[in-house]
Amino acid sequence: MSALAQQIVLGILIGGLYGLAAAGLSLVFGVLKVLNVAHGELIMLGGYAAFWAVALLGMDPFGSLVLVVPLSLLTGVVLYGALFGFVVRANEETREKNSLLIGFGLALVLHALAVRLWTADERSIVTPYGGAVITVAGLSVPVVRLLSLVIAFAVIGGLQLLLTHWRWGKAIRATAEDWQAALLTGIDVRRAYLLAFAMGTGLAGTAGVLVSVGYSVSPSIGLEWTLKALIVVVLAGLGSMIGTFVGGILLGVAEALSAAAFGGPYREVVGLVIFVVVLCARPRGLFGR
Amino acid sequence: MTPLANRRELAWGAGILLSLAALALLPLATRRDDVLNFVFLILLSITLAESWNMLAGYVGQVNLGHAAFFGLGALVARTLWSLGTPIFLAMLAGAAAAAVFALPIGAAAFRLRGAYFAVGTLALGEILRTTVANVLPEISTLPTADIGTYRLSHRYYLALALASLSVVMAGLLGASRAGLGMRAIREDEDAAEASGVGALWLKLFALVLSTGLAGLAGGLFAFYHISYYPSHAFSPTWTFDALLMTFIGGVGTVHGPVLGAVVYVTLKEYLAVRWVDFHLVIFGGIFITIVLLLPGGLVQAGARVRRLFHRS
Amino acid sequence: MQALEASYGDVRVLSAVTLSVAAGEIVALVGGNGAGKSTLLKSIAGLLPPRAGAIRWEGEDLARVGAHQIVERGLAMVPEGRRLFAGMTVQEHLDLGAFTPRARAVRPASLERVHALFPFLHERRRHVVRSLSGGQQQMVAIGRALMSNPRLLMLDEPSLGIAPRLVRTILTALAEINRAGVAVLLVEQNVQAALTLAHRAYVLESGRITAEGPSAALLSDAHVRRAYLGPLATRA
Repeated sequence: MSALAQQIVLGILIGGLYGLAAAGLSLVFGVLKVLNVAHGELIMLGGYAAFWAVALLGMDPFGSLVLVVPLSLLTGVVLYGALFGFVVRANEETREKNSLLIGFGLALVLHALAVRLWTADERSIVTPYGGAVITVAGLSVPVVRLLSLVIAFAVIGGLQLLLTHWRWGKAIRATAEDWQAALLTGIDVRRAYLLAFAMGTGLAGTAGVLVSVGYSVSPSIGLEWTLKALIVVVLAGLGSMIGTFVGGILLGVAEALSAAAFGGPYREVVGLVIFVVVLCARPRGLFGR
Repeated sequence: MTPLANRRELAWGAGILLSLAALALLPLATRRDDVLNFVFLILLSITLAESWNMLAGYVGQVNLGHAAFFGLGALVARTLWSLGTPIFLAMLAGAAAAAVFALPIGAAAFRLRGAYFAVGTLALGEILRTTVANVLPEISTLPTADIGTYRLSHRYYLALALASLSVVMAGLLGASRAGLGMRAIREDEDAAEASGVGALWLKLFALVLSTGLAGLAGGLFAFYHISYYPSHAFSPTWTFDALLMTFIGGVGTVHGPVLGAVVYVTLKEYLAVRWVDFHLVIFGGIFITIVLLLPGGLVQAGARVRRLFHRS
Repeated sequence: MQALEASYGDVRVLSAVTLSVAAGEIVALVGGNGAGKSTLLKSIAGLLPPRAGAIRWEGEDLARVGAHQIVERGLAMVPEGRRLFAGMTVQEHLDLGAFTPRARAVRPASLERVHALFPFLHERRRHVVRSLSGGQQQMVAIGRALMSNPRLLMLDEPSLGIAPRLVRTILTALAEINRAGVAVLLVEQNVQAALTLAHRAYVLESGRITAEGPSAALLSDAHVRRAYLGPLATRA
């Protein structure tokens, strides 16, 4: 029984990162109506940025957030300006398809570059406190992963606050609801798009740092995390960051339960199956409007 | 929307078939295995790209799980063949398995809008790959007797036949009334439905053709390789390759996927020696450029250059 | 003197339409379904680019100006069907209404004005607009537009789908808004109500202006009466 509980704890710990990963994707999809399938690759890049910040600059991995988050935001601005900014000019259907294809091309390029630059090997960040574990009620909770969960939650909370109290946060939400009405309200919708995309990339970079510090990073985690984020977005629907976070945790727990029931290799499959089922049954998600 | 049966496309189609016929003489002209292997890969890629194009180019649905059908075809064909079934029948069974598997998926998935359909099929492909990798982790190898009698030329001619078949199928489909209806769906599904096009049936029809052809290609793959990991045939790389080739060549045309396949495989083989996977950086970049600037692919680029010359 | 002058030509919907709104006026644009009234308003607001012609406002041609910048210039539109942000609250709508720098400068005063006009907006400020009735939503939409501190308020079919009692409330509010110094351009299918409220009006039929003048004159015009006001008239 406690083996199962242990698995569930670990599932919750990674579930928070799933939620964070999904939040970025959800923001971009909700506002720009663009499904960026390169989102996982952006997470991967964030992970490598943290890894190299630690390896080359000697930074503490959590401290590297100070460097990686601004870098990610900047990357988002560049990607929007160079790529996605062009697709948002089309009508919704063309926009969806073209952005899907562009995201796909971007993912391929980023993945191949990562393989070329850093090889396909898995990298882990090693820290002096890396092995520390807290024991609670007979269950061991790795400190690094717990800290990651807390940070993820704080970031999501901060994001929620930004969206409700920041002038541009409200503008972003308005644009997501009805971009023409937003224009009529005096909101520069293109700038809202840019901000949302940059924030989405920033969230991806943050998630990447937390992934590489608590787990590992390699070029192939891109597709994996894109799928995780997609699963959670479809589960939780758009419109609530907290809901997305909870959805991530649910996915983590579901994976833990399925690993316990069917064995380790099928951990991945259960999430995908849930995804397909929910997609067909309720494309708007469980929490979504 | 220019009808497919215009003279330029027919000319291209004829030219391709003639080239394929000429390629039939290749094994007589050379004994070099690497040349035959290279052309084999091109022929397999042509089949794969044409199959993907049937859903994406004609109906307009982006199927990111195409590898699932390729893999299924390979799996069924390999299994039956190793049990003694003649390879032709085994491959047909593989194609049938893929098409039959596709039907319920299509019935459920075609209710989804574009992006959801794409990621849904992506997920499905991954489900299959992971499951096969867990259920059949051991490498699949031909028995020694068969290795002894392995004839590359047989595989080569089969690939040639399959590539020709895919080109002919694509051409016939494009010129048919069904093809016209599919194109109407691609342009505007609601309008097409309103004018009585029967969207779901046409989409399923295209899906069956697309996945059946992919299944045949998978069977060919299973026939060709002496040993391989069964889950490798389900790898999303096959889908991505088909996507890249089709778009770069020119989605929605008959000759586009052929052109794309030739360019893609050639450049990939050329780069593979020194820069593994770097071809993806180049092709990814070309792909993005095409999506943004030249949606018709290289085929359209050719037409534009032609127009430039005609004007001057 | 602020004045809006729009001469507009779009082969498909409108042809050679010229209208003007002077400061302090209420001008109505009436006509049947599909006459092109909405199209004209949307192009003034910047949502549709005009094929030909000019939209002159305070000496500037707005034809090429982006929609969000037009709000900054002092023109606000209340679109057809309200077009609210369904998941957001009444207060959030009013806050967003004062998005432009020009509006932010006088936000507290604007908010007071809006609350005085529509007290319910203050009472229900925490309510998500999805839960409001059509008429209440219309008040939110007008409030949102007013928060941008406009000098010209444009409304596209404000009475559509709204209970008659609330229509009266809204029209009274519009008169008061106008008295406070905001010019109003009103597109309406409810010709009686529109002509009662407005100082001047234009009649748009099949993309052309077929009549214009003081609303009192139009109310007694034979053709207008027959087409839009008589017992056999078709009114949406």
